Amino acid sequence: MKIERRELIAAGGLAAFAVGFSQTLGRMLSGLVGDAPKAHNIHGRSAEPEFSVDPATGALRPNPNQQVSYTACLGCTTQCGVRVRVDRASGNVIRVAGNPYSPLSTEPHLPMKASVRDSLVALSRFQDKGLAGRSTACGRGNAAMDQMNSPFRVLTPLKRVGPRNGGQWQPISFEQLVRELVEGGDLFGEGHVEGFAALRDLATPIDPDAPELGPKVNQVALLSSVNDGREPFARRFWNQAYGTLNFVGHGSYCGGAYRSGSGALFGDLKKMPHAKPDLANAEFVLFIGTAPGNAGNPFKRTGTLLAKGRSEGRLEYVVIDPVLTNADNRAAGERGRWVPIRPGTDGALVMGMMRWMFENGRVNTAYLGYPNLNAAEAAGEPSFTNASWLVVAEKGHPREGRFLRGSDIGIAVAEEEKHKDADPYLVQGPDGKPMPADVATGPAPLEAAAPVMVGDRKLAVNTAFELLRESALKLGLAEYAGICGVPEAVITGLADEFTRHGRKACAIAHGGMMAGNGFYNAYAVVTLNALIGNLNWKGGFVVNGGGFKDAGAGPRYELETFPGAVKPKGTPLGRNVPYEKSAEFARRKAAGKAYPARDAWFPNAPGLGTEWFPAMLRGYPYGVKALILWSSNPLYGIAGLRPLVEKALADPKKLPLIVSVDPLINESNAFADYIVPDSLMYESWGWSAPWNGVPTKATTARWPVVEPKAAKTSHAPDAPAIGMETLFIALAQAMKLPGFGPAGLADIEGNRLPLERPEDWYLRGGANVAFGGKAPVGDATDEDLALSGVERLRPLLEATLKPDEWRKVAFLYTRGGRYQPAKEAQDETNPEWQTNRFKNALWLWNDNVGGTKNSLTGKRFTGCATWQPPAFADGTPMRDVHKESDWPLLVVSYKSALQNSYSIATRITSLHPDNPVIVHPEDAARLGLATGDLARIQTPGGEATCRVIVHEGVMRGVLAVEHGYGHRELGARAHTLGDARQPERPDLRAGVNLNDLGLADPTRGNQAIWVDAVSGTSVRNGLPAKLMRI
Amino acid sequence: MKDHNPPTAAPATSPSRRAFLRGIPVLTAAAAMAPAPVLAADATHHWAMLVDVRKCIGCQACTVACIQENAVPEGSFRTFVSTYSVKLADAEQPAGTYMLPRLCNHCDQPPCVPVCPVGATFKRADGIVVVDGDRCVGCAYCVQACPYDARFINHDTDKAEKCTFCAHRVDAGLLPACVETCVGGARIFGDLNDPAGELRRRLDAAKAEVKVLKPESGTEPRVFYIGLDERFQGRVEGQGTLWQPRATHG
Ligand code: SF4
Ligand code: SF4
Repeated sequence: MKIERRELIAAGGLAAFAVGFSQTLGRMLSGLVGDAPKAHNIHGRSAEPEFSVDPATGALRPNPNQQVSYTACLGCTTQCGVRVRVDRASGNVIRVAGNPYSPLSTEPHLPMKASVRDSLVALSRFQDKGLAGRSTACGRGNAAMDQMNSPFRVLTPLKRVGPRNGGQWQPISFEQLVRELVEGGDLFGEGHVEGFAALRDLATPIDPDAPELGPKVNQVALLSSVNDGREPFARRFWNQAYGTLNFVGHGSYCGGAYRSGSGALFGDLKKMPHAKPDLANAEFVLFIGTAPGNAGNPFKRTGTLLAKGRSEGRLEYVVIDPVLTNADNRAAGERGRWVPIRPGTDGALVMGMMRWMFENGRVNTAYLGYPNLNAAEAAGEPSFTNASWLVVAEKGHPREGRFLRGSDIGIAVAEEEKHKDADPYLVQGPDGKPMPADVATGPAPLEAAAPVMVGDRKLAVNTAFELLRESALKLGLAEYAGICGVPEAVITGLADEFTRHGRKACAIAHGGMMAGNGFYNAYAVVTLNALIGNLNWKGGFVVNGGGFKDAGAGPRYELETFPGAVKPKGTPLGRNVPYEKSAEFARRKAAGKAYPARDAWFPNAPGLGTEWFPAMLRGYPYGVKALILWSSNPLYGIAGLRPLVEKALADPKKLPLIVSVDPLINESNAFADYIVPDSLMYESWGWSAPWNGVPTKATTARWPVVEPKAAKTSHAPDAPAIGMETLFIALAQAMKLPGFGPAGLADIEGNRLPLERPEDWYLRGGANVAFGGKAPVGDATDEDLALSGVERLRPLLEATLKPDEWRKVAFLYTRGGRYQPAKEAQDETNPEWQTNRFKNALWLWNDNVGGTKNSLTGKRFTGCATWQPPAFADGTPMRDVHKESDWPLLVVSYKSALQNSYSIATRITSLHPDNPVIVHPEDAARLGLATGDLARIQTPGGEATCRVIVHEGVMRGVLAVEHGYGHRELGARAHTLGDARQPERPDLRAGVNLNDLGLADPTRGNQAIWVDAVSGTSVRNGLPAKLMRI
Repeated sequence: MKDHNPPTAAPATSPSRRAFLRGIPVLTAAAAMAPAPVLAADATHHWAMLVDVRKCIGCQACTVACIQENAVPEGSFRTFVSTYSVKLADAEQPAGTYMLPRLCNHCDQPPCVPVCPVGATFKRADGIVVVDGDRCVGCAYCVQACPYDARFINHDTDKAEKCTFCAHRVDAGLLPACVETCVGGARIFGDLNDPAGELRRRLDAAKAEVKVLKPESGTEPRVFYIGLDERFQGRVEGQGTLWQPRATHG
C-alpha cells in the first residue's frame, strides 16, 4: 500500500517527503545477533515474536533475545502504561504496545494479582484472550520510540557559541557545566553572569519598597511542562532546597481555561478540581470544545470507551466544535453527532440551553436545594451545590458579590477566621432568617424571600441559584442562537436531550475553551452538570481515582519535607494574586486612583506560564536573573509569545542566564545558554498518576527499561547518566543545599539516608506507593522479575531498599504500576455511586470570582456562568478593536489526532506530513481557493504562508489549524554541536504553527499577549484573521 | 443503602423529541453478504479479519504498529486507515468523518497469485496470502493485479511486500500487531473454522451487516467489515479528505 506524494498533496499534504529517517537510523533486527541481518523468506524483516503462546494449552515460551517490560509512554500527556519490547543485544526498542494492568491502556484492566506470565498470555490468541483484554498504544504511542535513536537528541551538555538562538553549541563536560552554573563568571565573553550560588539569596528583598514580592531567590524561575512522574523531585530541589517560588507547568497554554472554569464550579481556583463523563456507563454526553477519541487526555481510554458505547448502542454523544474531527464516525450513524459552532461562543450556546432548562422546569431543583453533603446524602444524593447559599447583593456594599457569612450577621467567629473556612456560609432557615448552611438537615430555599436584617439594617441578598438564573435569562434564545451560529431548535433540542437521561448525562469541555472569554465559557459548560445533579453518579460526572502517593510523608519514607526545607514566599511571577495586596495598590490608592494597575493581575488563576515572559522581560512584578526550561517549549506553545519576546529573549542583558534540561532542541531552548540532556521516555524513572478520566486509583511506574543514552556524569565506572535528577543533585551538592547528599532524606523512623542518585529517590517513592493504600501490595516472584526485565533492577532494589520492601517495589515495576481493581469504580454499598467522590460543594456562584475586581478597570467580575463576548484584559470586546470588516474570519487551533507538539521527527510525520488549513467551501469560493492552493493567512499578530484544504468539516467563517506543525526546531533546523552537524530535514518545517499568529493585547499596551482576563490562559481560539490567495 | 433510583428531572426519552438530532442520513449500505466458512481442505485454520468500522477512531495505531513490527519502509504501508471528511447532503450536520481501515484482503480468489511469473506469491493452506522473498524477482505484476492496492515493492529489498496478517506472530500463537494495538477495538482476528471463536461469533451475529470491499471483483476477501458504507466499498470519491487513498482506487 502506498500513499503517494501527489495524493498527499491532493489531501493538502506537503510535497517534501521525509528522506528515509528510519532507514538512516537503521533497524536492529529481530534478535538475529550477527552483522548481516538475514530476511526470512516469508516474514521478511518482521521482528521475531517476543514470546510464543501455545494456542492449545496457553503455555508461554519467552524469546531470550527480547525483553518485555511495563513502563510509561510519554507520547502525550496521558502517560499510558505501555509494554516496551527491547532487543537485548542492541538495547533498541522494537515495538511498544499497551500494559494490560493499566486502565489507561486496557478496558477493563487486569487485576494486579495476575502474574506477569498470565499478563503475557492474556495478550495472545489463546482462548481469544488477546481480543477481550486488548492492551494498546495509539499511533503516536507506537511512533514515539523513534525518538530514542533520533539524530536530534542532545546527549552531552551543550554551551552556546555565539549569540543566543544561533544554532551553534560546544559540548562540555558535566563538571564544567556544574561549575559554571553554580559559580557563574564571564561565561560567554559578554560580561559577568551570576551563577546559581550567588542568585540564591533568601534574605534580601527584590524590592525593599515592595516586600510582598519576596526575596531575590524568586528571580530564578523554572518552567516545566507536565508532571511526568518526576515533578516532585524537581520541586524538592527548586522550591524546597533552592527556595524559589517560581515553578510552573504548561497549563495556562494547554487547556487552562477549562480547568479554571471547572475550578470555579468545584470551588478551588488554584488546584482546579475537575471531573469527566463516566463514558463506561453514560447515555448522553455533550463534548463542547473537546474531541473525544481524536485527542485529549486520557486519549486511548476515552477513544476505546467511546467506540464501545456508540457501537453497543448505549451511548449517544454530540461534539460541539468549530472543527470536525475523528470524534465523529459516520459508520456509527446517529449515535455520534457534530454540531459546528462559532469559535469562542460556547457560552452563548450553553446559557441558551440553561435558559430553556430554567423556563421548562428541567433544572433539578430538588437536588440543588441540599446545602451540604449530609442533607444531600440523606436524600440519596452523592453530591451537593451552593445553589441555596446567600450572596450579598447590596449595591456598593464592600462585600457585594461575596457570600454572606456567619460573622456578617453577628455569629461569633474568631477575628482571624472571619470570612475564612470556619466562618459559616448561610442559607435561609425555616423561619426566614439566615442559618449556617452546614447544619441544615434538609433542603433550603433556592430563592431568597426578603432582605436579611443585619442589626437594624436591611441587606439585599440573593441565592447562588437566583444569580445563575438571572445570568441565563439575560438574553433570549434567538439572541444566543444568533451569537453562536447554532440554530435555536438545536440549542433547545440539546437541552431537552441532556435533561432526559437522569444522571446518566454529562457535559464536558477542554482545549476548545482557549478563547478570549474561555473562563466563562468553560464555567458555563461544567455548570450544566450541576443543574442535573450528575456528580458522583455512575454514568454521570465522575472524578479521578487519583494515584498512590510516592513523594509523601510515608508510609515508609519521608519524601515530603526535610530539615532546612525552605518555604518559598512572595508574589509569583505570573501575578496570580490579588493586586489589592500589593505595594503598588497601596501607593496608587494613596495617590487617589487605585485602578488601573500597571498591568493585569490574575487573583483567581493558578501559576501562569503565559504571563511569565512579558513579566520577566519587563520587570513587572520583577525581572528574572535565571530561567530554567525543563522539557518545556513556551515559544512554540503560547499563542502570540514568539513575536512579542523573541528579540528580548535573545538579549542576555534582559535575562542573563537560560538553562534548559531537555533531550531535544526545541523552539524555546534554542535560546538557552546551556542545554543539559535529559533521559527520554523509557529511560526515565517516575511515578505518575492519570490526569483524569480513570475512576479507580492508579499509579504508573516509569523506570529505565533501557539504558539512558546520555553521557555519564563522570568517568567513574558506575557514574549515572546525565539528566534532570543528576544535574539537580550535583547542583545541590555543589551549593551544599539541604535535602540532598549523603543524608539528604530519611525513612519514616527518621534514619538519615542518601539522596545522591535518582534511584535513591524513586525506589523509596516506590516503597511509599507499595505500602500505601488499604494494604501493601504482594511480592514479585523470581519469575515475575525474569519475565518483565525487572531482573535488571534487582541489585539496585536490594541495595537501596529494606529486606521487606524490595520485592513489593519490584512487584510495582513488574506490573508497571499500582492499580485499584476495575470493579471497585462504584461504591460497595451503593452501586449507583462512584467509590471516589468529590465531597465539597459545587459552586453555582463563585464568590472568589464574583468578589474580585479587574485590576485594569476596578470593575467587579461576574461570579457565575454567563455569556460575554471574547474580550481583551480590560473588557474591551475583541471585535471593537479588530473589526469584522478588516478581519472577516476567525482562526482556531485544534488538536491533531496524530501529532503532538514534539513528535514531528517520528514516523507520524510520514503519515501526515503537514497541516493544511481547513477552509469552508463557501469561504473558499469567495476567496477563489481550492484544495491544495497556497494562501496567505494573516492576523493582527502575524502572517504565514499555508496550504489550504477545502471541505465542509469546519464552521463557515472559520479557519482551522491543526496543532503540531510549523516547527523551526526539533530537527527542522540543523544545529552544530562542536564539529558535528545534525542532519538536514527541511520537511520537518512543513505547515504552520497557529501560535506564531497569536495576538498581543492592545489594552495592555501590546506589551503582553492576549489572555483570558480571569484565568490568564492564552487565546488561540477565535483569532481575527484574513486569508488571501497567492 | 442509599436510594438506587436516581431522581430524574424529566420523563424518559421520547424519540420524537430528538428531532433536532435527526435528519442526518445514516450512510446505509446494500449488498450485504454473509461470509461462508470456506474450509480449506488441508488446514485446520482459515485466518480472517473483521473490521467494525463503527469502532474505529482513526488513530492509526494499527498503521504505525505494523510499520514498527514489520520494518515497513518510509512512505509504504501494509495497512492504513483512510480518513475522509464526507459532505452530508440534506442534513443539519454538514459533514462527517468516515474511517476505513485497509489492508491485504487475503482473498480466497487472489488475483495477485496467478500473475506471478515465478510462483513467489501464494495462498498458504491457512488462508494467508504471502510472498516468498527468496523467489520474488520484484517485477511488480502482483502490485498491479491487486484491486485493493495492498502491495508495494519494498525499495530496501526490491521484493514485493504486503500484509501477512503478521504470520510470524500468528504462527507463534499471537495476534497481528494491528489487532493487538487497536484502540477502538475495531479489528478482530481469528479463525473462520472455529465456530466458538470470537471472530466467527461476531460474523454470525452481524450477518446481514457484514460486507467486503469490491464484492463485484470476485476476489472473495477474507477481511470483513461491519459498518461499511456502500459508497466506500468500491472507488472512493472523497470530497476534500484528511487523507486520501490512491486516486486510482479501482
Ligand atoms: S495516548 Fe498514546 S501517546 Fe498518549 S500516552 Fe497513551 S499511548 Fe502514549
Ligand atoms: S488502531 Fe483501530 S481504532 Fe485506531 S485507526 Fe487502526 S483500526 Fe482504527
